[in-house]
Amino acid sequence: MSSKESAGPPAIDAVGLGRDFGETRALDALDLLVPAGAMVGLLGPNGAGKTTAMLVLATLLRPSRGGARVFGYDITRARTAVRNHLGLVFQEASVDGLLTVEENLLFAARLVGVGNQSARQAAADAMERVGLTERRSQPARHLSTGWRRLIDLARATLHRPALLVLDEPTVGLDPEHRDRAWRLLETERRERGTTVLFSTHYLAEAEGCDRVVLLARGRVVASDTPAALKATLGDEVVEVEGPDAHRLLPVMRDLVDVRLAIRTERGCRVGIVGSRDGLTKLASLAPKLVRLTVRPATLDDVYFAMTQASHAEPSASDRVGEPV
Amino acid sequence: MTALAPVYGIVVRDVIRAFRQKGRLVGGLARSFMWLLLVGTGYNAIARVEGVSSYQEFVYPGLVVMAMLFGAMLTAISTVYDREFGMLRLMLASPAGASAILAGRAIAATIIGILQGGVLLVCLPMFFSVTASQLVNAVAALALGAAASSALGLLVAAPLRSVENFASVINVVLFPLFFLSGALYPTGRMPAGLRHVAQVNPVSHAVDLMRAALGQPAEFGATHSVLVLIAMTVSCFFLTMLIFDPEHRFTLRDRPAGR
Repeated sequence: MSSKESAGPPAIDAVGLGRDFGETRALDALDLLVPAGAMVGLLGPNGAGKTTAMLVLATLLRPSRGGARVFGYDITRARTAVRNHLGLVFQEASVDGLLTVEENLLFAARLVGVGNQSARQAAADAMERVGLTERRSQPARHLSTGWRRLIDLARATLHRPALLVLDEPTVGLDPEHRDRAWRLLETERRERGTTVLFSTHYLAEAEGCDRVVLLARGRVVASDTPAALKATLGDEVVEVEGPDAHRLLPVMRDLVDVRLAIRTERGCRVGIVGSRDGLTKLASLAPKLVRLTVRPATLDDVYFAMTQASHAEPSASDRVGEPV
Repeated sequence: MTALAPVYGIVVRDVIRAFRQKGRLVGGLARSFMWLLLVGTGYNAIARVEGVSSYQEFVYPGLVVMAMLFGAMLTAISTVYDREFGMLRLMLASPAGASAILAGRAIAATIIGILQGGVLLVCLPMFFSVTASQLVNAVAALALGAAASSALGLLVAAPLRSVENFASVINVVLFPLFFLSGALYPTGRMPAGLRHVAQVNPVSHAVDLMRAALGQPAEFGATHSVLVLIAMTVSCFFLTMLIFDPEHRFTLRDRPAGR
């Protein structure tokens, strides 16, 4: 965890947090502890419950079960106090196209209770932080998706909240705007100790997190530092591509120490521990092999292993995602 | 930090939006002027109304209310646009709370209603003679009518799920309210059933109050109309607060994407 963790209450402390929509269990039971000052990435496939979890934590949805505290404030009983600590970015941009950039930020500042004169200063500072100052008088509808997203981020950080909850903040952004977004978040964290909880499908973005939480079917299936999560797969990952690649698994087990194997579109992905020398024999044993790559584990590997494993049925011995 | 800042912010935003949507603003005024100049001119020849010199003079207070009604109610109902396009959730995520959001929207809608109706009041001396005190009374009547219309608009918008219902709301709510208000023809000449509906229609009281303010014969009496409009404003606002569901956006039409 970050060195900026404080001795006060954790930024987020959720226990068994769940939310249903009718008969659909969108979030089953979320246990999440985020220390103040930490950056936590929430990963998971579509429908895993990430957005619902964020909306419940942001007090926009009431939980169906369980509970959570944000900086010690209960999300159902002390909503206003929770909101005072929050900066929120939704999955879709919340920008009024008829207003200028500055007017959007002034509106946001007033919404959080900042008085008129302070609002102007806060809006100017926020525009400066994301590089929107030159565009301050432009109607938001004339701006690209990337700039509109940066208005969103400027808005969320405008009142300098202690906790930023960001639902896919960089989705659809080009590398330049994505870089601007992450620089802003890093600065907020470094200079002000802001806690950041974000969801993303760009797994590389989660590499710099203090903790990665993997959700599947509304439950936490893994939660640890990126390095520790990657270590669960083994020392390295072997990518085997070709027809019937998964049939090589029993042979691989004899040649190397296999920690975990999952089936992929083009073959299988195997986490190994220890020496990889035995793998050279695989090529001669499987002439139809298209490619065999040995590389360090990534969060993508963890993502596939954990989220697919959560879908696998225990009785299927060689099913996709089934740990070996 | 000030408690009134969110309300002020919502009012400023809505007023800016109203002035940037010039088509809607001009269209709202054009509707009244078209009725006055095109329909009114024709009706002058065939319609005789007691207490006024012409149909155009009779209909003018109603047209002031028409401009106010459409301006105020459409602004209030635009809450459904905000719900659809993500601005409402931004407001709901703020510490302001639903009551401040609704109050801000109601005040903004009232101001826009007053501004739209006010344009017709400013133009009134070009068509008919009017005293300064009558104009002052008319502005007060306009403000009361706009407040009631805004609160009613909020109440209509509260259960609406999407903008697709917006056009039907105009046809099913706005037009009947206006046509049954005595704005275009005296309620006394309506069939008994419709007359009873007109008597409980808040817009009838806004029109009647406007007639009284401008020195025309009034049906209900100014005090009665003032009380009805105040009661309407307060009851609609509190009813809206009761039925307004902050989770509406997330639970009814489409569940959060990428749950």
